[in-house]
Amino acid sequence: MTPLSSYLVLAAIIFFIGLLGALTRRHAIIVLICIELMLNAANLNFIAFWRFNPHPEAMLGPIFVLFSIAVAGSEAAVGLALVISIYRFYRSVDVEKMNALQG
Amino acid sequence: MAVILSNPDQAIVNLVHEALNLLQAYPALAILASILLSTLPLVVIFPSGFAFITWMERKGLARIQNRIGPNRVGVPFTNIKLFGLGQPLADGVKMLLKEDIVPRTADKFAHFLAPVLVVIPALLVLALLPFNRNMVAAGVDSAVILFFALGSVSTLAIFMAGWSSRNKYSLLGGMRAIAQMVSYEIPLVLSAVTAIMITGSLNTSRLIETQQIGTWAASNNVGLQCLSQVAGWNVFTPWGFAGFVIFFIATLAEVNRSPFDLPEADSEIIAGHLTEYSGFKYALFFLAEYIGAFAMSGLATTLFLGGWHGPNIRPWWSADPEAWIIPGALWFFLKMLLLIVLMIWVRGTFPRLRVDQLMGFAWKFLMPLSILNIFVAGAYFYLPIWIGWPAGFIILYIAYELLGRLNRGQVVARREYRYAT
Amino acid sequence: MNITFTILSTLAIVSALLAARLRNLVYAVLSLMIFFSALAALFIVLLAEFIGAVQILVYVGAVGILILFAIMLTHHIAGSTGERIDARGWFWAIPAAGAVLFGILLPAIIYTPLPLVPSSSTYEPSVLHLGQALMSPYAATLEIMALLLTAAMIGAVVIAMTLQPGDKEKHADQN
Repeated sequence: MTPLSSYLVLAAIIFFIGLLGALTRRHAIIVLICIELMLNAANLNFIAFWRFNPHPEAMLGPIFVLFSIAVAGSEAAVGLALVISIYRFYRSVDVEKMNALQG
Repeated sequence: MAVILSNPDQAIVNLVHEALNLLQAYPALAILASILLSTLPLVVIFPSGFAFITWMERKGLARIQNRIGPNRVGVPFTNIKLFGLGQPLADGVKMLLKEDIVPRTADKFAHFLAPVLVVIPALLVLALLPFNRNMVAAGVDSAVILFFALGSVSTLAIFMAGWSSRNKYSLLGGMRAIAQMVSYEIPLVLSAVTAIMITGSLNTSRLIETQQIGTWAASNNVGLQCLSQVAGWNVFTPWGFAGFVIFFIATLAEVNRSPFDLPEADSEIIAGHLTEYSGFKYALFFLAEYIGAFAMSGLATTLFLGGWHGPNIRPWWSADPEAWIIPGALWFFLKMLLLIVLMIWVRGTFPRLRVDQLMGFAWKFLMPLSILNIFVAGAYFYLPIWIGWPAGFIILYIAYELLGRLNRGQVVARREYRYAT
Repeated sequence: MNITFTILSTLAIVSALLAARLRNLVYAVLSLMIFFSALAALFIVLLAEFIGAVQILVYVGAVGILILFAIMLTHHIAGSTGERIDARGWFWAIPAAGAVLFGILLPAIIYTPLPLVPSSSTYEPSVLHLGQALMSPYAATLEIMALLLTAAMIGAVVIAMTLQPGDKEKHADQN
């Protein structure tokens, strides 16, 4: 049986990859993809901690992850609708070109 | 022999257990043998069932359309015409030998992966169906939602097929196919929820166990024993009947069969997402469609038609309280065959739906009806049966009429041909 | 270390890297699907079968398709222009993310006494407990989540709609 720290290190690495991508990439949809990576890393953390909990019948891990998945899904939907709407205005999804509020 | 006869319908399972017991000394070999024994029958039986069903479909559609269908290809290399039963073999050889054309600008990786990705979930979900009391390859506790989850992976594969062909008709056809499959997933899952709610478990074996009348099954009266296995089916309740009809219609839409075969119809958008596929990849798409139809019919029999229960009597020579004479797997396959015949019959009878009629039907008719079905199922569970049963039917019939009238505006007006004399 | 965990974690890390760094957008999303599936398999290994199934159903079956639709509607595969894929100032993101990983997350994992084996090894995965938990302590959260999903659905449709409020008369006769 793998120890709990292996799952936590895996989740930390995935969070790091997602954070790096979200801070770095220019394409707005890739930024949304990296946000999904970070959310999934957090979900993995919850389920790993729940499994090693002395009382798994209370189902705290899966309940939180269920709501997290629901929230992430709705956030992806609204975020992508925003990206589509922005594309119609700017004709591009480059985050560097969206600097109307800058300065 | 005594092992077989004491529990006739579990004879195969008992034989397999005894065979695996011989391998107790080598646990790795025993695990490998048990994995092979649970999955190889699925991989062997269902594709050969697919071949038989293609023959049956062509003959059945032909008879509905007042023609004969394939009747020349019998046993190969001889002159015996076996009612055209060799036709699937000929079709398979043709598909294998066809040239595999890939467009020059197509995305080769995705173009190759799409047919594979469409077949894998269809075969995978067959492992979740219980064909008899202990004959389920993967008896997990949340089987039904795994079924729907794995079924929704095929939408991704259809998008990949439409996108990778670099053909605007393929892309449009793929988008329409995905819109159709995603829209019909909602009535599919909601109608299954009623059966899950009343049974109280997502486990497919448990769903089937509760669809018999246990008190009658334990009695000594042969008639009551037969009836106990049939009268408990979910389809004989108001919510079960409505749920079964909604599930069946949504299944037709999920596997892209007529009258919902807009994505692959020749007269519509060439062949939609299948335009640029030839040879064996095309055959793989159709294999996925028919095996998906098998899997969904299997789930429909599990949820609504009582699974492996059928009119059965207990063997009087056996002391086992769970033994029956006719194997339950026979009833399961008979029900699946009945549902496939129904699908073929519907294909030959109804014209194809237009894309806006299709979407309107899913969102404005089936979805409200399936949500109301959940309420009716809940009310049926709590009310005594002599109120719940007729009340359920009346409420569902009123809803059906009202929703039908609300959607009446979709009917195209009668055409006027001004220049026809 | 388990062979299952090794395979699944390697798959997850490699597909996450590909999803974050590939230039071709459709390939990035496809590797994101592989990542979701690897994570769903990890959930099933951790005996949260329902959550694994929900992960595939929601993420692979819905969110992935949504991202692919959005890519198709914004027409920017970003493979052909030859520009760099990273934004300006990408260099400073590496120490920032590295500080999060090596400064916060990894020390927290290393310096906390964590259990090595699951303390309840007789746990049978069942959906019954999840249903009971959703009904008794967390029913209000369920209702709020339903409101949130409805609001998100209506909001997404309103934001992405092509018809502006003044164009109703102009477009009405085209139907």
